Amino acid sequence: MKTYFRELSVAAALVVVLLALAVFAPAFYQPQPLLSLLTREAPTLVVACGMALVIISRQIDISVGAQFSVCSVCAGLLAARGWPIYLVLPASAACGAFLGALNGALVAGLRLPSIVVTLATMVTLRQGLNLVRQGEFVNLPDGVQWLGLGQTAGQWLIVLTALGFLVAFGLGLRHLAAGRFVYAVGSDAEAARLAGLRPQLATFLVFVLLGALTGLAAMMNVAQSPQVQPLSGSGLELKVIAAVVVGGVAISGGRGNLWGAFAGLLLLACVAPALTHLHVEAYWEKAIQGAIILLAVVADGLRSRKGGHR
Amino acid sequence: MKKLLHVCAAGAVFLASLVTASAADAKLVVAMLPKSKGNAYFISCKAGADKAAKELGVQLLFDGPTDSNAAKQNEIVENWITLGVDVIAVAAENKEGISTALRKAQKQGIKVLTYDADAMTDARSFFVNQATPEGIGQGLMDEAARLTGGEGEFAMIVASLTAANQREWQKHVEARLKEKYPKMKLVAVRPCDDLKDKAQSEATAMLSANPKLKLIMAICSPGVPGAAEAVKQAGQTGKVKVMGLGLPNENRRYVKEGVTDSIILWNTGDLGYLTIYAGVALAKDELKQGAKTLKAGSLGTFSIVGDNILLGKPFIFNKANIDQFDF
Repeated sequence: MKTYFRELSVAAALVVVLLALAVFAPAFYQPQPLLSLLTREAPTLVVACGMALVIISRQIDISVGAQFSVCSVCAGLLAARGWPIYLVLPASAACGAFLGALNGALVAGLRLPSIVVTLATMVTLRQGLNLVRQGEFVNLPDGVQWLGLGQTAGQWLIVLTALGFLVAFGLGLRHLAAGRFVYAVGSDAEAARLAGLRPQLATFLVFVLLGALTGLAAMMNVAQSPQVQPLSGSGLELKVIAAVVVGGVAISGGRGNLWGAFAGLLLLACVAPALTHLHVEAYWEKAIQGAIILLAVVADGLRSRKGGHR
Repeated sequence: MKKLLHVCAAGAVFLASLVTASAADAKLVVAMLPKSKGNAYFISCKAGADKAAKELGVQLLFDGPTDSNAAKQNEIVENWITLGVDVIAVAAENKEGISTALRKAQKQGIKVLTYDADAMTDARSFFVNQATPEGIGQGLMDEAARLTGGEGEFAMIVASLTAANQREWQKHVEARLKEKYPKMKLVAVRPCDDLKDKAQSEATAMLSANPKLKLIMAICSPGVPGAAEAVKQAGQTGKVKVMGLGLPNENRRYVKEGVTDSIILWNTGDLGYLTIYAGVALAKDELKQGAKTLKAGSLGTFSIVGDNILLGKPFIFNKANIDQFDF
């Protein structure tokens, strides 16, 4: 109970917000709009799974938004050329894995700080995409949206896929040796090395994994509308990192889990629709999200000062 | 080596004399510079410019960077100065950057005007202004009123709550609302950060939070398809109208499906047409500083405010005409 206090407090905050909405804006709970909003957040959740791994291993990747855009446009262009979905999907994931490998190689291979490396790749990818597309949308052929399944089935498939990733990674992180390895590297890379593990390899692999998940998430987003905006995914990095940090994953590595990150993501994602339903001015959205992040970071700071880093 | 230079110089003089000679005894040469020549928006400007050039019997040079590149724009202007064209019309990528080259052109007696995006005011005679904030705001609000029958709730999606042009347009929409449509009510204004995906999420929440909503107006271009997708997914097509500022290609699908009713922008063909007429009038000294109107062929008379030639009312793209436009 005490071990998970941090995660539980985020979940409690989420429950309070949801209850408040139930009382003051019951219209929030109409099934169709709610399913649409969940579907919109599903790709973010998949990226958050990968980001949590990267942050737990004491790294960060701020290029995920740009990776997401590049993968979206690639997937869109391939689909527009008539590639079938079952080829576009792995191509998008492979594109993401490649971009992730690039970051991973620079960070793990050359031991460069990940914030600088991914800042550079973010700017490069984003500007490269601007140069190539000049903001022009990619129009998709029929049958790409909802993977040809129809809206409701497509939405459920996307939401359940995202939840599937959450459960698989959440359990794997806790119960698999590879999962514990990530914590070990994030807690103390030198100790992990002395224990016979290879921290650089782990670092490389978490970046590749994050890239692949980002590519997959891009496809889950592309499948939600008939056109791809090259700008899509801009700001995603902040959204994902905020969700993970609010959810109790320590930015200093070695601590946190995906259940907390999930609660953090839902909490932050609730803010904008909640304000719309409560007819509050939109100016408050970013301020409230910022306050939530600040609160989380302060809570983490107080905890670590008490000495309990776990 | 020195000999080679002499030959080159002689060649250049000869070529230049050819150009000036042909320009003198025949056609005026009007050079038109887009921000990027492959961009469908400017290609449609060129279509109107071609038409005007043909009507006026002038030669049109249309050249620009392949991508939006301010330095390349300068190079092209320099080339045109060397070539000795009569008129240069520019859509400036970089306001300050292009102005030095344009001032140089003016010193050589070339008439300079801008269209679509202005340069520094001292570097050109006139700016062909495609849309004033007031015109856009009124056009948007009038169309929204037409679509809803002048009454009921509507909501707005903006790019951000702070961007200057967005604030300006929103201000004019609200002013028009207050002045002319007392039965309409603006119930929400939400930002989409210029992202189609966020616009869709925002519109989804707007729809469920405001069951009496009759229309969503998006004043940033990604907001229109985003709102349309939300309305479509909510099964509210036709019940909640969608309209806003945008490009035909980004909205064609939704306009044809009947989700989006109207896209408001200016007619880019008319912008090119008017620019050429203004340029030629300038070269023939028919258009002088202080003029109040300009006649442009089949499009009729346009008003001039200060040194801005106004294209006038925004153009409305809808199901009936959208297929005539490809940008």
